[in-house]
Amino acid sequence: MKLGVLMSDFRTGSDVLDRLSAEKLGIIFVGNGIYHATVKEGGKTSPILEKSATYYVLTEDLESRGFTSANVDSRIKPVTYNDMVDLIFNEYEKFIWI
Amino acid sequence: MGKLTIGCFASLVGSVSLDFTVKLAEAAVKKGHKVDLWVSGNATMLSKKGQRAFKDYSALQKTINGLLETGNFQMTACEACAEARGYHKEDTMEGCKRFSMDWYLASCFSADRVLHIGGD
Amino acid sequence: MATKRLCFVIRTLPYKIEGSRLAMTHAIASQTVEIYLEDGDLVEASVCFIADGVLNCLKNQAAMKHYGITSIEQHLKNSLLLDMKVMICKEDLEKFGISEDTIVKDAEDLGGETVAQIVPYSEIQKEMEAVDHLLFC
Repeated sequence: MKLGVLMSDFRTGSDVLDRLSAEKLGIIFVGNGIYHATVKEGGKTSPILEKSATYYVLTEDLESRGFTSANVDSRIKPVTYNDMVDLIFNEYEKFIWI
Repeated sequence: MGKLTIGCFASLVGSVSLDFTVKLAEAAVKKGHKVDLWVSGNATMLSKKGQRAFKDYSALQKTINGLLETGNFQMTACEACAEARGYHKEDTMEGCKRFSMDWYLASCFSADRVLHIGGD
Repeated sequence: MATKRLCFVIRTLPYKIEGSRLAMTHAIASQTVEIYLEDGDLVEASVCFIADGVLNCLKNQAAMKHYGITSIEQHLKNSLLLDMKVMICKEDLEKFGISEDTIVKDAEDLGGETVAQIVPYSEIQKEMEAVDHLLFC
């Protein structure tokens, strides 16, 4: 399946994400999920970024929390709401919100 | 152009997940897609009329009114969730509907994409 | 004539938030969805419990006694009574040290015949791949 995961939290949901597999997996960090894209806890990047997936982060939610695209890990592509609509209709077939 | 059905349980005040939902719906409608928004649980309050905007709380009514005017967006509230919160039919925002939960499943039936935001 | 399959995946704990309750009540609403559809069209809902969500399946929930509300246990039984497909993740039950005899597996006391399936996560992954839409709660 082509699965898009909207990761909206920082402290919960990783256990669910760890086990998910998909032929094509996209992880979109939104809400407090953006900390996975920006924070290095104990000097380490989020373990979520080790999955075999394409990563995105919602720019608006980054900015709301005091970050910019310059703070984002290089594996992650910043996207707007417009871009998200295209991801939803063109890139992935099923979506889940964690 | 496609149809996106979004279901949301998150509250209008106390969570920004509903803000996300409305902004995504707005972006999709602007691109020419149709959007059905199902508000259930605490999200039901988004469809209540007479919301007053304060700087410390999410205020989405204006955006919702604009979306409803496009004709490519409909918002339906869970009737039981509304009644349980003391919000009755006459309190419903103009242009919004109230139905039982099976309405949402029927909307999913005809949707190209479904995004379900299961609550905070 | 078409059938669309929806899978509600419950991953959250019961009672503090409404997620698992609403997942169950929405899934059960698939029984009456035909009124909105063309003749012959159907929506089939399944429910999977994973991660913390498996704790919704414990027996002897006294939610009616203490909160005055229907327990998730009762909703689970109702869904089985309606012959809905219910899957519970075996590894997650084991992780919490929950034995099969302490969870709701059937609605026999209500006259139901369908039983909940306790399956490895890989089976739940297959279900998620097979359905048309996923609804995580």
